[in-house]
Amino acid sequence: MDLLFQFLSNTGYYLADYRNVIMIVVGTVFLYLGTAKKYEPLLLIPIGFGILVGNVPFFKGFGLGIYESNSVLHYLYFGVTTGLYPSIVFLGLGAMTDFSSLLARPSLMLLGAAAQMGIFFTLLGALGLGFLPKEAASIAIIGGADGPTSIFLTAKLAPHLIGPIAIAAYSYMALIPVIQPPIMRLLTSREERLIRMPELREVSKKERIIFPGIAVILCCFLAPASIPLLGTFFFGNFLKECGVTERLAQTARTAIIDTATILLGLTVGASTQGDVFLTPKSVLIFVLGAVAFSIATASGVIFAKIMNFFLKEKINPLLGAAGVSAVPGSAREVHLVGQSEDPENFLLMHAMACNSSGVIGSAICAGILWSFMIVL
Amino acid sequence: MYGFHAISTHNGWAMAIAGALIVFSGLVVLSTAISQIHRILLFFENKYTGFRNNNKIQENDEPEEQPDSDLPKEFPSELDEIACLYQPLIEEIGETFYLSDLYKIAKENNFPHPHITLTAFRDANILIPYGDGVFSWNLPKENTVNEKE
Repeated sequence: MDLLFQFLSNTGYYLADYRNVIMIVVGTVFLYLGTAKKYEPLLLIPIGFGILVGNVPFFKGFGLGIYESNSVLHYLYFGVTTGLYPSIVFLGLGAMTDFSSLLARPSLMLLGAAAQMGIFFTLLGALGLGFLPKEAASIAIIGGADGPTSIFLTAKLAPHLIGPIAIAAYSYMALIPVIQPPIMRLLTSREERLIRMPELREVSKKERIIFPGIAVILCCFLAPASIPLLGTFFFGNFLKECGVTERLAQTARTAIIDTATILLGLTVGASTQGDVFLTPKSVLIFVLGAVAFSIATASGVIFAKIMNFFLKEKINPLLGAAGVSAVPGSAREVHLVGQSEDPENFLLMHAMACNSSGVIGSAICAGILWSFMIVL
Repeated sequence: MYGFHAISTHNGWAMAIAGALIVFSGLVVLSTAISQIHRILLFFENKYTGFRNNNKIQENDEPEEQPDSDLPKEFPSELDEIACLYQPLIEEIGETFYLSDLYKIAKENNFPHPHITLTAFRDANILIPYGDGVFSWNLPKENTVNEKE
């Protein structure tokens, strides 16, 4: 009988507290959004399931939890805390990205830069709310709307905040269709949304081959701390474009990125154990993340409008919203908002140019913030 | 510590302004650099093509027989007259076009020295640049009329 009671007292049913229950509900919501609503399913489903796994109550000291040094989950989590998975994800992203539209219209890269202003506004907000500089920098990077970059920087600066920051970043990426369109509509007139973009010129193969080489040198010389992200990103892109390593590029954009995404999502989800995750800080991080993402969207749109004062051929200001790094979600949203006004207005390719420059911009920002914190 | 005091103490204003300026300048430099890639490539391609053509001429004493074309046997030396010969090509590719397209089509039609000719057209404002390699044709009307007459 004692054995039975001892067993029962070690079960999850006995050990569960309200925080685990709350997090299991959150995980279920993620799974619902990913499965039924198809909001970023490749991210939300591994994270959602990870939240369920991470919040099963267990007997401490058994080597089961993600924060226990000898557990399997802890070993898998190593890729997050060292920044390994984000680097691998960037390799795959590079092997997927086609920079033709950006090469055809390089001026759109400025919108990718403008959308990074959300990061720096949020840095100020987080410092003002009492976060330490390293924590504030990690929270601010949510404004880049780039999950892997957020996880990478947080792992380097404030590893104790990886859970809430990763969940906030991925949540807002998944909620792009909810967050961005109202901001775009609020800041633009109908006439502006109707502006059509000219067809992009054809980009030669040689241009596409040369681009990753030039970009990696210019970006990484400016912010060497972004090498782990941009180095692999442009390497992946070179594999894709050089034409002689198609097999490697194919592996990078399928098996490698998929493996990294699964492990990243599962372990980040599992890191949200109720007792560690449900704190007032996490709530503040969520609020600041929403502010960061909204400011990033707004600053891209506003900058596009400012550019129009100086341009003979006006650009559609909706494109500014695609300057955040959420590829291809925000580009798709810009295209859909444009088409809701004029079904024959095709903004997708131009939006992809802004979107891919947003990826570069947010990785540079991560490098810059990391460098600043080394000095502090 | 909270509010503006916390921002100032942690050097927040400087970090935000410097960070924004650095990322902006970085991407401006990158966009400027990549906007020049196709021009640089075109320059080297033209140089290479010219070098190859020169070698060809040196190898063969007699020039190769040109395939049939509508071009006169003696090509005019006046720029306006040459421009009239280019007029049908412009009609083919449209009012605004990439210079590389005009160069390509001129080469395909065996116009002699298209690169030098296009440079001369640019100097004479017959080709008007719109940026990013896009040009429009600006041949005075009387020249085209004369050609038709």
